[in-house]
Amino acid sequence: MPRPITRREILQSAGCGFGYLALAGLTAGDSPANPLAPRPPVLPARAKRVIFLFMQGGVSQVDSFDYKPLLARQGGKMMSFVDARRQANTGMGGSEQRVMPSPWRFEQHGECGRWASGLFPEISRHVDDLCFLHGVHTEGVAHGPATLFLHCGASNQVRPSMGSWVLYGLGSENANLPGFVTIGPSPGNGGARNYGSAFLPAIYQGTALGSATRPASRATIRNLSNPVLSREEQARGLDLLRGLNAEQARTRPGDQELEAVVASHELAWRMQSQAPGVLDLGRESRETLALYGIDDPLTENFGRQCLLARRFCEEGVRFIQVTYGDGTANPAWDQHSNLPKHGDHARAVDRPIAGLLVDLKRRGLLEDTLIWWGTEFGRTPYAEKNGTGRDHNPGGFTVWLAGAGVKPGFALGQTDEFGHLAVQDKVHMHDLHATILHLLGLDPERLTFRYSGRDFRLTDVSGQVVREILA
Amino acid sequence: MIQTGWRCVAVLLIVVARPVASSAADDPDGIALFEAKIRPVLVRECYSCHSAQAKSVKGGLRLDSRAAVLAGGESGPILVPGKPEESPLLEALRHEGPEMPPKGKLPDPVIADFAQWIKQGAPDPRNGPATIAARPTIDIQAGRQFWVYQPPHPHQPPTVRDASWPATEIDRFVLARLEAKGLHPAPEADRATLARRLSYDLTGLPLPPDEVDAFVADPSPDAHERLVDRLLDSPAFGERWGRHWLDVARFAESLTLRGLIFPDAWRYRDYVVDAFNSEMRFDQFLQEQIAGDLLSADSPRDRARQIVATTFLMLGNTNLEEQDKHQLDMDLVDEQLDTIGKAILGQTIGCARCHDHKFDPIPTRDYYAMAGILASTRALEHANVSKWLEVPLPVTAAEEAAIRRQEAAVAAVAARLKAEKSRLARLGQKTIGPLAVNRAPGIVVDDAKAQRVGQWTASTFNKTYIGDCYLHDGNSEKGDKALTFHPELSAPGEYDVWLAYSPGTNRSTSVPVTISAADGETTVRVNMKRSPTIEGRYIALGRFRFDHEGQPFVRVANQGTTGYVVADAVCFIPAGAARPIRPAPVVASASLRSLENELKRVKAAGPKRPKAMTVREAAKPSDLQVHIRGSAHTLGDRVPRGFLQVATLGPAPAIPSDRSGRLELAEWLGSTRNPLTARVFVNRAWHWLFGAGLVRTPDNLGTTGEPPSHPELLDDLASRFAGEDEWSVKRLVRRIVLSRTYRLASTAGLDPKAESVDPENRLLSRQNRRRLDAECLRETILSAAGTLRRERGGPGFPADLASDFDYNDERTCQSVYLTVFRNALPELFEVFDFADPSLVVGRRDVSTVAPQALFLMNHPFVLDQAREATRRLMTGPDRDNPSRATRAYRWTLGRLPSPVERDLIVRFVEGSAGPSLESAWAQVFQALFASVDFRYVD
Repeated sequence: MPRPITRREILQSAGCGFGYLALAGLTAGDSPANPLAPRPPVLPARAKRVIFLFMQGGVSQVDSFDYKPLLARQGGKMMSFVDARRQANTGMGGSEQRVMPSPWRFEQHGECGRWASGLFPEISRHVDDLCFLHGVHTEGVAHGPATLFLHCGASNQVRPSMGSWVLYGLGSENANLPGFVTIGPSPGNGGARNYGSAFLPAIYQGTALGSATRPASRATIRNLSNPVLSREEQARGLDLLRGLNAEQARTRPGDQELEAVVASHELAWRMQSQAPGVLDLGRESRETLALYGIDDPLTENFGRQCLLARRFCEEGVRFIQVTYGDGTANPAWDQHSNLPKHGDHARAVDRPIAGLLVDLKRRGLLEDTLIWWGTEFGRTPYAEKNGTGRDHNPGGFTVWLAGAGVKPGFALGQTDEFGHLAVQDKVHMHDLHATILHLLGLDPERLTFRYSGRDFRLTDVSGQVVREILA
Repeated sequence: MIQTGWRCVAVLLIVVARPVASSAADDPDGIALFEAKIRPVLVRECYSCHSAQAKSVKGGLRLDSRAAVLAGGESGPILVPGKPEESPLLEALRHEGPEMPPKGKLPDPVIADFAQWIKQGAPDPRNGPATIAARPTIDIQAGRQFWVYQPPHPHQPPTVRDASWPATEIDRFVLARLEAKGLHPAPEADRATLARRLSYDLTGLPLPPDEVDAFVADPSPDAHERLVDRLLDSPAFGERWGRHWLDVARFAESLTLRGLIFPDAWRYRDYVVDAFNSEMRFDQFLQEQIAGDLLSADSPRDRARQIVATTFLMLGNTNLEEQDKHQLDMDLVDEQLDTIGKAILGQTIGCARCHDHKFDPIPTRDYYAMAGILASTRALEHANVSKWLEVPLPVTAAEEAAIRRQEAAVAAVAARLKAEKSRLARLGQKTIGPLAVNRAPGIVVDDAKAQRVGQWTASTFNKTYIGDCYLHDGNSEKGDKALTFHPELSAPGEYDVWLAYSPGTNRSTSVPVTISAADGETTVRVNMKRSPTIEGRYIALGRFRFDHEGQPFVRVANQGTTGYVVADAVCFIPAGAARPIRPAPVVASASLRSLENELKRVKAAGPKRPKAMTVREAAKPSDLQVHIRGSAHTLGDRVPRGFLQVATLGPAPAIPSDRSGRLELAEWLGSTRNPLTARVFVNRAWHWLFGAGLVRTPDNLGTTGEPPSHPELLDDLASRFAGEDEWSVKRLVRRIVLSRTYRLASTAGLDPKAESVDPENRLLSRQNRRRLDAECLRETILSAAGTLRRERGGPGFPADLASDFDYNDERTCQSVYLTVFRNALPELFEVFDFADPSLVVGRRDVSTVAPQALFLMNHPFVLDQAREATRRLMTGPDRDNPSRATRAYRWTLGRLPSPVERDLIVRFVEGSAGPSLESAWAQVFQALFASVDFRYVD
């Protein structure tokens, strides 16, 4: 949604007035008149856009991609672990816990021989395209703080979300669509803050399509169609508005503010014409729908979300988040009990994600699109007291990336022999954020915004690019 | 570049490595160890962050010379030569504190090498002088030289060449600057434009067309002044200006976390509106918000108002689920301090949480001096999801009587209910006397296992108890004792929770018993004079859901009780489980059901005791230690509680050691004992009346903010505001809007030279054209449709609402009374740049984006209101299209259409082939709502 804006407006909307100036300093080109105009990245960019597949609730690393044979051998034994929740609650983490083996069988896959469990059989077929980070760790033991940290790099302070930072840094490639969309976001655990722009100008906030509490088939951009008027009637109405505006602005020729208001209506009209086409999955072939699992009730919902993501990707949308979750305080993947339920969630996302990988690859989009599969934290290798589930584990878990700029068929980092805490080549969430910005051609230390008297960044005062995974 | 005059120039200190006492340090074996095992690791693992070659040296620590290693970093020394176990370096390498290297622990043999090396005295041949940049310190005295830290004082208005132009002193300040630049002020705005501007600025509402007519036609010289006074007297003034303050106070009625609802935050909103309408002194207004609970009050009504005011401190969008509760407390304090800093002082104090402020003369010590005050203030009850404090509000005698009557009525029914239950219970099994713990039902937490706060006495005086005894509080130290029962639940799910107690005539009748479960905390009052209803031993506290988040508990406290508080055990019985001991078969009883219904009816019928969200003094106020780099777990020097040194005029107010200092903080904030408060508010008022402040960064008057365009004018207004105007906001606003400067045209007849000399209108040669904000936009649409309902506060959502998710407030009341839910802002607010309710917003975003246009084109609200306006138009007196067009213009834009505009509309309506005339007119209204003149205030 471009808009011509005046210098005064830029100063007004940019916090203390330095934001855009700082931005102008870090992009190669001129100071952008339109804050959403695409901007060349400061570094050689490997990725043009990001699709973030958010598995809400905490996927267990030791039941999916972080193979620990010891877990099976020591299963059922009481052993000493430093428990993150206990640590946060009491300051002392040491506790006796019962080791819980994984109910899923691990096998090697692909040319790279990566170990993966039977939890995600379809995704596992594509391990040669994936780049695993096994030593990820983050902040926050509860969903609320950890989910905000995942999205905004802060667990309590109100900070812009990553998509907003990316849009602020790079602008949008499509003038007729939002530059940052989030498909099926959860209202829980931070809700809109997870795609909010906080102190960045509001134009950088994410546009929500639907909600995790409603079927994806109903996900749309708000106010995209008129429930009363025909297209012809609307066109006449717009003509009237054009006439009135021309008359009202007659005494003020060249007034950019007024022109911006006029232009926003023209753009809205174009969006109203074009966006429904992007959202219409009816234009996809039966083969493609099947590829994403839209022909199967089990996978239909997430399949739709993933297919929408590909369509936005083709349209040049900069940051696309797809959430598998719900609106509850203990979201989807949160198996404190009944761990086999992980299997239900895996079934719902496995085929759609594999389909997305295949589809992006065959269309050449994986070349310049980065896929990020992740969760707010992992799960403990030991059982809850009920013996059937696992607790939250921010100290070590697995994330995978695929596509633009990362080594395919690669894995970095390790957790300890139980898969509990990251011990080698650890990647903090700040580091992961920094790496993704780097892949997009942004310098995580120079992508700053002056607010409240200081320059803020997504990764606060930390964040090291994980160079080992760069292709 | 930003001037940092008071900051010492960073001096390069030459630190020469002192000879280490131990001769072992120069031991050739030791050097060999260093070269073989230590240096390579330092170079490989540490230098990228901790050496001269690092892009930025982390933690102020360098490891590339012996002197630097011995000097340590921001957290202090890293090693004690000869004493590995006392060396933080080793702790870090072992990942037992801060974890180094952060990417992964080094192999154990390497760590053992470091231990050995330190043990040998840390021999290190990297001798010679090492340069370490001294950390610059802040010179407070020098900092006071910056304009904003100087006390404001009145200024003689400058003389001007055109003495006939200024209407007030403000105009002389403005004109003098214009004349100096050779600029001419614009002419005054025409009456209709001025009426529209004044009405929005002072009341947020459009002026009704007949009042516009009257004003335009009024020839008297004081017409403007009379309109101003009438608008200032309107209750809408407080609604408009109260809403401005609510932007600054990050007012909201829920948390994004789980959509938790603040049931009583609306009282604060109403308090703010009332304060502006009743001309409460602004210094008092601030003091009440910081420490209303500690101020003296003349009446229960005053007291209630003052408590409600402190809700201000608790409105932050806090993540109550943070599991590290110390961190949570500090995050809450930080949010409060950040808000107070920006909202009241225009200072970015939050920047000093981790390090001395990089630009302003605010050392970290000042941050923790103020943080100590707020940390000595109790704000939360901790649980998995911690809970804010709610207190009952004092009421007048008449209200108290009504509430008592109500409570008595409720109690009477409750008593009958209870009597009926005991009667039925007596019919069942009766087991009075001691009972073994394992005979009690469900998962039992006996008093022996309860966590005790304060002195509790074991007793067997009453013979009905579980285990060895029951506990009582000795009827003493009320408020300081509690028993917390933590169950070990085997599975999540629903449980019936029973409390066992031994009744007696000397017992308290209202013991607060708090159950912390998955859905939050619930407090039940138990009358311990009455015999427990289940087997004469237990009372059912209710059915609760427990999950694996945090630790469920039941707490029996003696807060606010008179009479003995006792507790014996708490039982958690899985819902639906067969109970080992069955209560009396009461459930099926029809008499019971009808009594329960009656109780519900009676409860709903009468007044409830009002409550408010507030804070309390902590039991033991104390000073805080500096949190190094903001970490709650790396502590430095203890700092006495106090205020911003650079902004304290005269001696700093003393804080009694047994008090938090919040009262003193309030008095310092709401007064001229700091040079900031009056300036900051005057500047805000100017911003709200001109669309840009004299300082255009209204939340930041520090060195990183913008400098004032008219410093003398700002000073003069600030000193008058705090002086002769006695902190009256209405008088301040009146003073500004009566100036000729305020009345100038924003667009017509401008000095062409001004556009090039002063394109941003900093010198005020004209008014600023401003965007119509979300509230005014909505109110004007509703006014045109005739659907605006004037309401006067109160709660805006159902009392039993569980979360704010997907809540849709469709009332057509004034915007200030629409519910501000953080997860469910009214869409119109969200789209039209309403203030983010989680941040201090002194200046809203002004954006022009397509979603606004889509909203105006397609949103049902706009379509409905356009239809309502049409209905009103069609049933009105106008019969022909031209006069209808005129009326539509007056309703929406407050002016007459030009002939061209009128023709456009008439032709549109007449050319419509649509289903009906009504539909065409509705489209006309929609077009007017979307037109540029509607979206701007000239």
